[in-house]
Amino acid sequence: MLFERTFDNCSALHFPSIQEWKQAHPGRKVIAYFPVYAPVELIHAAGMLPVGLSGAGDRLDIQHADARFGSFICSIVKTTLEMGMAGHLEPFDGFLFSTICDSARNLCFVMKRNFPQMYVDFLHLPHNPSSPAAAQFLAEEYRRILTELERLGAEVDDEALRHSIALYNRNRALIRKLYQLRSHSPQQVPTSELYQLIRLGNFLPVEEHTAQLEAALLDFQSRNAKLRDSIRIVVEGSFCEQPPLTLIRLVEDAGCYIVDDDFVIGQSWFESDVPTEGDPLLALAKSYLDRSVYSSVRHDFRKPRWDGLVDKVRRNRADAVLFLIAKFCEPAYFDYVPYKQELERTGIPHLQLEFEEKSFTFDRLRTEIETFVESLVFD
Amino acid sequence: MKTTTNEKKEYRGSIHQLQKDLMLAWYDQLDQAATTGIPPTVSMMISGNCVELLEGFGAVPLYPEINALQLAIRHQSLDPILAAEDLGYAADNCAYVKADIGCILKGITPTGGKLPTPTLILCNFVGCNTYLKWFEHLAKLQQAPLYVIDVPFMRAEEPSRSDIEYVVKQLQETVKKLEQLTGRKFDYDRFRQAVACSSRTEELWSQIKHLARRSPSPFDAYFDAITLMGPLYVYRARPEGVEFFEAALAELQAKADARKGVYEQEQFRLVMEGPPPYPYFRTFRDMFAKWQACAVASTYSTVGGLWEFGFRHDPKNPFESVAMHMIAQNVTNRNFLQRYEQIRRYVEEWNADGVIIHFVKSCRLFSAGQGDMRDYFTKQLGVPTLYIESDLEDPRYFAEAQTKNRIDAFFEALEHSKGTAAVRS
Amino acid sequence: MRIAAGVDVGSTQTKAVIMSDNGGVQIAARALVDTGANVQRAAERAFDACCQEAGVHGGDVGFVVGTGYGRYKIAFGNAQMTEITCHAKGAAFLCPGTRTVIDMGGQDSKAISVGPNGEVVDFVMNDKCAAGTGRFLANSAEVMGISLDEVGPLSLRAQHPVKIATVCTVFVESDILSYLAQGKTGEDILGGVHIAIAKRTLSLARRLNIEPEITMTGGVARNVGMVRALEELLGRKMLVSPDAQFIGAVGAALFALEKLDQSFESGIWRGEHAVPGGH
Repeated sequence: MLFERTFDNCSALHFPSIQEWKQAHPGRKVIAYFPVYAPVELIHAAGMLPVGLSGAGDRLDIQHADARFGSFICSIVKTTLEMGMAGHLEPFDGFLFSTICDSARNLCFVMKRNFPQMYVDFLHLPHNPSSPAAAQFLAEEYRRILTELERLGAEVDDEALRHSIALYNRNRALIRKLYQLRSHSPQQVPTSELYQLIRLGNFLPVEEHTAQLEAALLDFQSRNAKLRDSIRIVVEGSFCEQPPLTLIRLVEDAGCYIVDDDFVIGQSWFESDVPTEGDPLLALAKSYLDRSVYSSVRHDFRKPRWDGLVDKVRRNRADAVLFLIAKFCEPAYFDYVPYKQELERTGIPHLQLEFEEKSFTFDRLRTEIETFVESLVFD
Repeated sequence: MKTTTNEKKEYRGSIHQLQKDLMLAWYDQLDQAATTGIPPTVSMMISGNCVELLEGFGAVPLYPEINALQLAIRHQSLDPILAAEDLGYAADNCAYVKADIGCILKGITPTGGKLPTPTLILCNFVGCNTYLKWFEHLAKLQQAPLYVIDVPFMRAEEPSRSDIEYVVKQLQETVKKLEQLTGRKFDYDRFRQAVACSSRTEELWSQIKHLARRSPSPFDAYFDAITLMGPLYVYRARPEGVEFFEAALAELQAKADARKGVYEQEQFRLVMEGPPPYPYFRTFRDMFAKWQACAVASTYSTVGGLWEFGFRHDPKNPFESVAMHMIAQNVTNRNFLQRYEQIRRYVEEWNADGVIIHFVKSCRLFSAGQGDMRDYFTKQLGVPTLYIESDLEDPRYFAEAQTKNRIDAFFEALEHSKGTAAVRS
Repeated sequence: MRIAAGVDVGSTQTKAVIMSDNGGVQIAARALVDTGANVQRAAERAFDACCQEAGVHGGDVGFVVGTGYGRYKIAFGNAQMTEITCHAKGAAFLCPGTRTVIDMGGQDSKAISVGPNGEVVDFVMNDKCAAGTGRFLANSAEVMGISLDEVGPLSLRAQHPVKIATVCTVFVESDILSYLAQGKTGEDILGGVHIAIAKRTLSLARRLNIEPEITMTGGVARNVGMVRALEELLGRKMLVSPDAQFIGAVGAALFALEKLDQSFESGIWRGEHAVPGGH
């Protein structure tokens, strides 16, 4: 049983949990997906294991990938390619990308050229959800991807899809519950632990991950921790390239309770369950359009993202927003401006910091966060 | 000591003046619209733009990108960029966006005339995520209505039926929206005529592009093509556009028939990839002129549309062909590997000696992964390729001496290999 | 007998070489001066010193090719060529069999794919920042309070080279200070610095097809620590000429000789690119 897996263990470059899964399920395939969002239900229904790959963090030196992607490009694009060039993507039979940003889009096709033996595909997620035609389009796009996945895996019927959707619904519902618990009682749910737990979902089969979430929920609920005099913050901007775990711990140690965040947002993209009646692909499509959380890589002008951020702050009774932005992350840099304007208009304090997934010294960041916390505490 | 023969070249023909007049007339219309509210104006992105649709309303396009590049060419882009950075935009955000937003903040326009708040901000999303952000921010800043035409990306070799239907439906929604906003009924016949006009303009433009296959090429398919591009996006669907390109074709055809090239002796033929450094347009051109190197093809001149391989708008299927143009026939909505293919075709069919890849810091759509492109051309195809770096809009990111050095080294090597080839033959 | 010269005006040092074809092409003399603020004067001083050593007058030199970033400021130069082209030529001459040049200079670094006749087939440059250049090493030496000559030998004695995260010359200083405060030895720190620079340089070079023989040129080639670090990462030995610093000037001189020999016709010789005095 993979029950004892930790995130640290799973994210090692030789992907031990994936290797074991492959051995335990001979002939079945593994499909990787680039952050932020992927239709994992489709991959699962086709009998394959969906794995979220968010770069190689600080585990891999970029030695070859920067010949292909030069300066001013975020690290995750380069470490993802580097993993491929160094042979670490050998366990994966496919790689799914989607319309999150220009760099990631180009990465998809560079991967396609350099790894012709992999199934590499690009999912076009609609950026005009106000159009009545969008749902039909996305359902057909899912159908297209599903057809490709079926070639690698097993044939999929509606029942299988509904079954997969139900499993992922359960998983997402637990994540929402955990987030709610943390927001209500942050002293019981340290983010550095919750983070690793959620990210495990990138690697484990959904059934196992759900079991682990259930156990963790009980564990967190039963904790007896004292509420510290920390400020409550929302972390925004870490939806793709992930901050080092040390940085997350540092934020908490500096006197913050992270009461909401957009880490690994693709895991809990939907605000409520995807319906399991009717056409499952249409249900998934409509859910993406109408019940997914806001993010810098999703565009829905019916309700601007900056309103979503203010809502998030108020809903979680947060004191401030910490923008943790990956260096060179263009979508996050852009959105910072309207976010900042709305926060200033509504009187919500905020701090903006940059990180790289491969950083391992944090002195300057620590100082900035501590100063910020102090400025809020000693008002 | 020998003196240089490299005096400042005059690169322009008479069409240059014609082009200037047309663009100024357009800015006049915009100024008028700013004052009177008539005609209605629609902001669009250049890439895969659907200017034909606007003709159905007598609306005039507003192109923030043209504003941005005009500023850069006139060496006025730094101030607005700084203003935008003061607002919070990052050093690494696209400088086009910063320049445009900075202009609005500071009330600057490229010609000094007024620019209207558009009737509709129409974001034709064709593969550039920055476009989406840019127009959303504009909508917030200018308090103007926004509609996003979500154009499916070219992730397969051809667009699917579903892709085309999705875009057609959104075009029809755009029509409804414009009817509401302008109070005018969509004139379907005018729209169809506009599409017919476009197909004529495109035919002329394609012929012009094909003239560059001649040796010597009668024009530079990068620097001169960029100059000719303005009327292509503003007037493509109007009779003035057809007239302009008829004149342009006639002039260039005459040059080609007289075997007149851009230089006294065309020494090198190049394919250029990437936008130019607009703040140093002239200086950059001189670096190639020194070597009598002429661009015979470029990818940047196909952002608005890719017509040299046969695509034309079809007035018998106006909505569908507009959708097709937006999905498949512009360089930005085509995937990275399709761009390799496009350049490869240029190298072969336009008979080029090498490829220049100009990495621009602002534009990840063009630039992210150009190292892999370089790898493809040098290692896989054995095509001499030069990689240079700067920015398209921000004057702070141009290292003149280093850029010149790389260009000189490239041509020294190319010259040597041509020389030994000549000796051998 | 034909005598020709090459003058390589670099950012920190200016090199001159006189070559003759008296019974085979050979180096007659070489000279090196600090460039300083006045590029023109530096070129003249190097050339004069070189003439003196060769025992010739300036007027005996049939043709002078200037190279390096200051090449347009050599008033007595007859023509200019980029240092990329000259490095390839010079390396192929001094280290026969050269197919790849890795040049690490004071301010920039480059890699060149070289053809069988010393011609440039392809090249990549880092001319944007100091990472992977002599400047990075000089800064590191200064922060650690040691002389530049010592950094290479010291780095060879590293037992546990530290991990250097950044290749930014500005930020590495604080990393080094941090490690010093942690009690890391100078050897280990320098070991880490050399490895980081070597990795960065090879990362650049890999954009080309790295083929043997691999020749290292430029001022940093005299740094035994850097040579070793690169060789370990490459998994093979590199060729390093004792004249590594003069390779650009040698290449320029070779082109000058060819001109005298009329063995290569080029637009360069038609004077179209010769600019008097300045540029």
